[in-house]
Amino acid sequence: MEMDELTETETHGVDRATLLRRIAIGGAALSLPALATAREALAAPTGAGGGNYPAHPKWKFAFINHVTTNPFFVPTQYGASDASALLKTAFTWTGSTKADVGEMINAFNAAISAKADGIAVCVVDKSAFEAPIKRALGKGIPVVAYNADGANSGPKARMAYIGQALYDSGFAMGERIATLVPKGDVALFIATPGALNIQPRIDGAIAAIKQSGKPINAKAIATDADLSKELTAIDSYYLGHKKLAGMFAVDAGDTQGVGQIIQKHSLKGKIKGGGYDLLPGTLKLIQQGFLDFTIDQQPYLQGFYPVVQLFLYKLSGGLVAPADTNTGLLFVTKANVKPYLTTQTRYEGSSSKQKYPVS
Amino acid sequence: MAVVEGAPSRRRASQIGWRAAGAFLRQREASIFLVAVALVLFFELKSNAFLGSDNIKNVTESMSPFALIAAGEVMLLICGEIDLAVGRTFAFAPAIVWLISSPDKHHLPIWLGVIVALVLSAAVGLVNGVVTTLLRVPSFITTLAMLYLLNGITLHLLSGSQQFMPGGPTFQNIFGSQPDHYFLWLNSEFYWAAGLVLLVQFVLWWTRFGLHTFATGGNLLGASEAGVNVRAVKVVNFVLVNVLAGFAGILDSTRVTTIVPLQGGPDYMFFAVAGAVIGGTSLFGGVGTVIGSFIGVGVLTILQTGFNILGYSAFTFPIIIGLAILLSMVATVQFARLRNLGRFQ
Repeated sequence: MEMDELTETETHGVDRATLLRRIAIGGAALSLPALATAREALAAPTGAGGGNYPAHPKWKFAFINHVTTNPFFVPTQYGASDASALLKTAFTWTGSTKADVGEMINAFNAAISAKADGIAVCVVDKSAFEAPIKRALGKGIPVVAYNADGANSGPKARMAYIGQALYDSGFAMGERIATLVPKGDVALFIATPGALNIQPRIDGAIAAIKQSGKPINAKAIATDADLSKELTAIDSYYLGHKKLAGMFAVDAGDTQGVGQIIQKHSLKGKIKGGGYDLLPGTLKLIQQGFLDFTIDQQPYLQGFYPVVQLFLYKLSGGLVAPADTNTGLLFVTKANVKPYLTTQTRYEGSSSKQKYPVS
Repeated sequence: MAVVEGAPSRRRASQIGWRAAGAFLRQREASIFLVAVALVLFFELKSNAFLGSDNIKNVTESMSPFALIAAGEVMLLICGEIDLAVGRTFAFAPAIVWLISSPDKHHLPIWLGVIVALVLSAAVGLVNGVVTTLLRVPSFITTLAMLYLLNGITLHLLSGSQQFMPGGPTFQNIFGSQPDHYFLWLNSEFYWAAGLVLLVQFVLWWTRFGLHTFATGGNLLGASEAGVNVRAVKVVNFVLVNVLAGFAGILDSTRVTTIVPLQGGPDYMFFAVAGAVIGGTSLFGGVGTVIGSFIGVGVLTILQTGFNILGYSAFTFPIIIGLAILLSMVATVQFARLRNLGRFQ
């Protein structure tokens, strides 16, 4: 009963909107001054579809994430939500809380069953998503990958990837390491080895270090997905390897952990440190000089662009196809860390408030 | 005349109807079955995609691995033990298959890989069982240790990274079909789960071993004095749950096409145990039903998929699951209390 009412109100809602719009158009045609207004409206159009787009169904896009409750993706959800408000669409946020591929595929299939109008998925597996993606595409549902893009090479079913070029970003980090550390042992920490959103970074970093030709011995060390366990793992690794010249990490938790261990044992300057993402702890450690750099991959854009691309695909009837989009590779160092620390903003997930100017 | 004759027969019919309803409600699985039906109706009213063929396929293939783990866990719970490590056996078994049958590794026939993986899963159960019964370590602790141990071994076997599940198209069709190749409409993984659940339920109800399992959990001392080898019963059930979990892991990796060292884990174990318990199995031994656990796991999966279809955010979802487990448990416990009251009257 209750559901019936809900659906009815929804239908009425749409009808009423259409009705009002028609009345407005009809009314405008009735009087000359109104015609003038209408002409003005054409010059600065405000369509019912958001911007000057025509009225369209309220398309619903499904985001399938591998760590739905991870703080990293809070700005991603803000990005998706802002784009949805702008374009008059809706989105859902489901998947797994701990990168369980089976669970993600179930959520993906549920999105197909629910007849989602588009799907954005973190492809954290080499092949498991190919068949479901093909099935969705076969049913006319556009699919883009975001944040993670599956295997390093080979054909991929998704229409486009929106996120950081993972291997390239790792390579850039490796080059940075080679300039910071002249020689010696370097530890590269990774929370979940093999996870396709971080493993390519470590592969890239090791390749770049090798290519630099410097006598640097880089070794990948697995820690844990849990922040406190990561800290313990890094601490004990350091205690067993005090001659390290550098400690770096390819995920958010480990990066903060590296900084905290450098701080704990007063190793500023002796051991170089750096990594990824913008945990508040990481930013502070950069400002205090315990970490040399962190890499911002702009998670806000990873929610914003998928909605925009899926929307344009639907609106244009497939003429505007989703295109690969690199959400960036920005090195944050002591020199440019200040605005990150002083601003509480939706774009970094530190505040839910809409505000302009941001600070 | 006809009216006079008709009235008592109608009364008799209604009496039979009530008696049938009463007999149904006295079944341990009844309450959870009603919950499942109510949930299906609820979600279908909310979104007509729920009973669509796509979603039926989705629900059945999602619940399969949990149903298999829960079936074994029910047997173990009935004889008064628990295995916390089954979620790790779930990852360990496919890792063994990969090691033996992958073209990147030893490239031996896939059936050999599966057999060795199942034998090693059984060995894991044997170790759990022997340490628990002969060395008298509580199964909670034995299997907690095994949970870590197996995880480490699996991480080493796979070098911490993701690997492709070996096996050709025929193997895939039989052991975890791909969406385009469902030869009997549903994923083959589901038929395995349903078949094995019925088999384990048969063993529990109609064999001497099933009787001994109930006796071991219901009254350990009495059973052993009556000549039941309670240790052997427990060890066999430890082996059973691990073989089922290993097999579930192989099926699921075949369906998903890759093996991840961290797949399964404690979450899978808890999901299966939750399904078993809301399906009518006691955590204290002596009471349980495999079919009930199958429906229990189904209820949890229906909830998960249903709310996914309605598009509830991942933040709200754990709240719903938590409430669902609580409510269905309160309902089950109170229902059982009322049932017992009725019997004592």
